[in-house]
Amino acid sequence: MIASTKGWQGARAVTPEAPARVVATPRKGASIELDDVGLRVGPEGSEVEILRSTSLRVAAGEFVCLLGPSGSGKSTILNLVAGLAPPTSGRVLEGERPVSGPGPDRAVVFQDAALFPWLRLRDNIEFPLKLQGVERAVRAARSEELLRLVHLWRFRGCYPHELSGGMRQRGAIARALAADPCVLLMDEPFAALDSQTREILQGELERIWSATGKTVLFVTHNVWEAVRLADRVVLMATRPGRILHEQTIDLPRPRAATDENVGVLVAGIARRIAHEVEKVAREEADDAWVAPRTGRGDDPRWDMGGGI
Amino acid sequence: MTILAGIWAVASELVRSPLAPGPADVARALLTGIRDGTLVRALLTSVVRLVIGYGVALTLGVPLGTALARSRLVKQTIGPVVLGLSSVPSICWLPLAILWFGLSEIAIQLVVVLGAALPIAVATENAVKHVPPSIERAARTMGAHGPRLMLAVTLPAALPGILGGAKIGWTFALRSLMAGELLFVSGGLGQLLETGRDLGDTALVLAVVVVIVAVGRASELLLFARADRAIARRWGVEGA
Repeated sequence: MIASTKGWQGARAVTPEAPARVVATPRKGASIELDDVGLRVGPEGSEVEILRSTSLRVAAGEFVCLLGPSGSGKSTILNLVAGLAPPTSGRVLEGERPVSGPGPDRAVVFQDAALFPWLRLRDNIEFPLKLQGVERAVRAARSEELLRLVHLWRFRGCYPHELSGGMRQRGAIARALAADPCVLLMDEPFAALDSQTREILQGELERIWSATGKTVLFVTHNVWEAVRLADRVVLMATRPGRILHEQTIDLPRPRAATDENVGVLVAGIARRIAHEVEKVAREEADDAWVAPRTGRGDDPRWDMGGGI
Repeated sequence: MTILAGIWAVASELVRSPLAPGPADVARALLTGIRDGTLVRALLTSVVRLVIGYGVALTLGVPLGTALARSRLVKQTIGPVVLGLSSVPSICWLPLAILWFGLSEIAIQLVVVLGAALPIAVATENAVKHVPPSIERAARTMGAHGPRLMLAVTLPAALPGILGGAKIGWTFALRSLMAGELLFVSGGLGQLLETGRDLGDTALVLAVVVVIVAVGRASELLLFARADRAIARRWGVEGA
């Protein structure tokens, strides 16, 4: 990767070769709707409520980030939309159609990339097409197009362990796009990467998203990442997981961390979820733990009992 | 090697007993055995048995291990039996096998298959259990499910562990076969060992041991070295 690592500048929305290459990605995004969805797990009687009556609508082609501390049900929502688990109550819709199981129209990118170690990068990207019985020549053309889109064409013959974390993640994005899904579900895809690689990949993702017009549902616990990428940020609360607040990000792209409007939004969102983050930290630490005074928790609404 | 053989030669010269043959005696016994065909016939008999028994053990052991890893019903019913049986040295089945099948190939194969299939099943179970969940989840989101998911994703992902089990299974098969042939008059290297004992021919006994070592090494090089390299290439150092 040769892109500049100087902060957001690596995020320049479109590189010259990209748009022409994505012609064979005709399927645009589809809308997603969660209608009063709840999820409980565990044996009857001692069930745990993972997600409480959640309703969320994501428009076709929209980029929505789910933001919250661990245990707030962000990944659960992703799994429900992916069809990996059925909800206990409510409905999940893709377009007009209820989600009844996993399908190639909704692709998932995982935090650990989850490329198949026994396949070369190119075969990894062709794997979803092979599952669908796409013939060899078409697969080859498609994988070349995608490898060029994520700038990994030179590494097509490598096995995943020979690639860096950032390269694996770009490979996983290419694989997710292979079957031309309508919805891209991303579960903290950049969380395990160093901050420079992360910045670059955020830029790449923004570019790919604007070039393909897919609907993106992106889970993160990083406020800046959410504000930078999303059309709309959905803040999540814990125990049980539920939606706390929705915030539309109406700023021009690409967004810079140094931009004053961005800074205000990031600080505001961080303050809103500070209480939830603290709640999780408190549960995971022993009684002697004291919340650090970050200066963000000074919103009186969240300062419940802090001075006792 | 040369130094060890030298020490061996000197030692056997000093002892000067028919019970301690030198390397030259063993080499002579090897040559005689090859020339008159007894050793070659015994080797062929054993290798054919080994290949058949091992093949059956693999085709039984891998599906059994997969079922143990994936089906709660199988795990709860057959699981304890498999664990219990795998702690029994397979040669203990020989008397029963002879009672059931007589002095036949089936009896000796039963010992080989039981000896190899159970460790293969246990290793496969472990390997399948430790496939990273995100690998299978990723495959499911692409629309893979059922047997397709198992064959195209789960088993390849478990391959390094299954290969480890296959190696253990091979050595268990070889051991079971040798033990079986020793106790059981039916040709093969094990029986040739027994013949050597009957004749008091220590050189022949040692010559057969040399052949058994060679079989073990050759199978390692021919069967598993390439698979090991392929795994190391794909998985990196981890799988090596």
